[in-house]
Amino acid sequence: MEPSDQNTPPALQHFDPKPETFYSIEAVAQMTQTPRHHIAVYCRHGLISPVVPPERDGWLFNDETIRTLRYIEHLRAEYDVNLPGLRMISELLGEIEQLREEVRFLRGR
Amino acid sequence: MPVKFKDYYASLGVARTATDDEIKKAFRKLARQYHPDVAKDKKNAEEKFKEINEAHEVLSDPIKRKKYDELGEHWQDGGGFQPPPNWQAGGRDADSAQAGEFHFGGTGFSDFFEQFFSGSNRHGFPTGGRGDDGPAHRGQDIEGDILVTLDEVMHGTTRQISLQTTAPDAGQAETHSFTVRIPPGASEGRRIRVPGKGSPGFGDGEPGDLYLRVRYAAHPDFQARGADLYHDIDLAPWEAVLGADVVAPSLDGAIKVHIPPHTNNGRQLRIRGHGLPKGRGGERGDLYVVVNIELPTQLTDEERALWEKLRQTSHFNPRQHSEK
Repeated sequence: MEPSDQNTPPALQHFDPKPETFYSIEAVAQMTQTPRHHIAVYCRHGLISPVVPPERDGWLFNDETIRTLRYIEHLRAEYDVNLPGLRMISELLGEIEQLREEVRFLRGR
Repeated sequence: MPVKFKDYYASLGVARTATDDEIKKAFRKLARQYHPDVAKDKKNAEEKFKEINEAHEVLSDPIKRKKYDELGEHWQDGGGFQPPPNWQAGGRDADSAQAGEFHFGGTGFSDFFEQFFSGSNRHGFPTGGRGDDGPAHRGQDIEGDILVTLDEVMHGTTRQISLQTTAPDAGQAETHSFTVRIPPGASEGRRIRVPGKGSPGFGDGEPGDLYLRVRYAAHPDFQARGADLYHDIDLAPWEAVLGADVVAPSLDGAIKVHIPPHTNNGRQLRIRGHGLPKGRGGERGDLYVVVNIELPTQLTDEERALWEKLRQTSHFNPRQHSEK
């Protein structure tokens, strides 16, 4: 790390991920190395959702989708989980998240 | 790499046998002193604040606390420490041992916390990344918690993060420093994706991504639930019965609250628009002021006489429905 003067902070890379950053299905497919028809199947089974109804602006996805897709691929590759299994895991994890948040809140009361 | 053990009981100044209530009280008292939103000496408060918050995060959660107490049994005084050989950090599998080779700076949590108590250690996060997957393989995604104060959530913040990862094949440590913007209204648990800042890839593989999970620091005055805030306010019995005008804290400064007559214990008074930001149009959640009636612990003879008079005069019987 180069020494820095206290008055001039080093020029660091800055990330400002906007919540409105959306990706097309092609971009998502490329970023996650997932074939487009897989993405469509996962959408149909409720594992991921486009940000807005596709009739309006086509299929647009956000960062959460990227993360979910990579996780799905991990489950398939590591544990050979099938589609119903993926769906169940997704629902369980969602429920656990909600419960955790609620418990966290109630504990603070 | 051995990580330094942290004595959370000492951070809060409580005994190892402290009750949940004692921990909560100790935390609130210290947080009022050192919380960046309210502390008078902000510079020195910051380190201490991180320490208290982390201690509270672990000790106020029975599951984490139990895990911590077990870990603590094997604490060697001075230097680093290693958990017992069979000790499981949540749902991680043996392959993910190398996932522990990352160290954060600037998240508000210590390495000790990140390694043993952060959410990324629980089942649900992809680890693995095997060298036998061919010459080029994408690096692992990394997830870590980032501690933010409610004030930072209100206005947004830019945080400087440093991340040291060990390249899985080359075995070299790389340190990346960068700044990340946390937008106003970021919800608890929200993941902020920082592309390319995960573990380096194998061979020509791309690096993974970094996900920073927003964690609200416990505030001495408020609990957050979604975009709403809850504040416990103490009232004297006569204030609750006769009504009163009181002052409550809010993220926008002190506000006047009118307590209507006959306000029962536990009643929640809703103050619209004084919660955290939500949505994109500048909307805000609500602040709920929750009434807690406190009783005087000592009475003068005159006060006691008045209460006795009240007891004799009043026909109020809260148990009339259950008495025969």
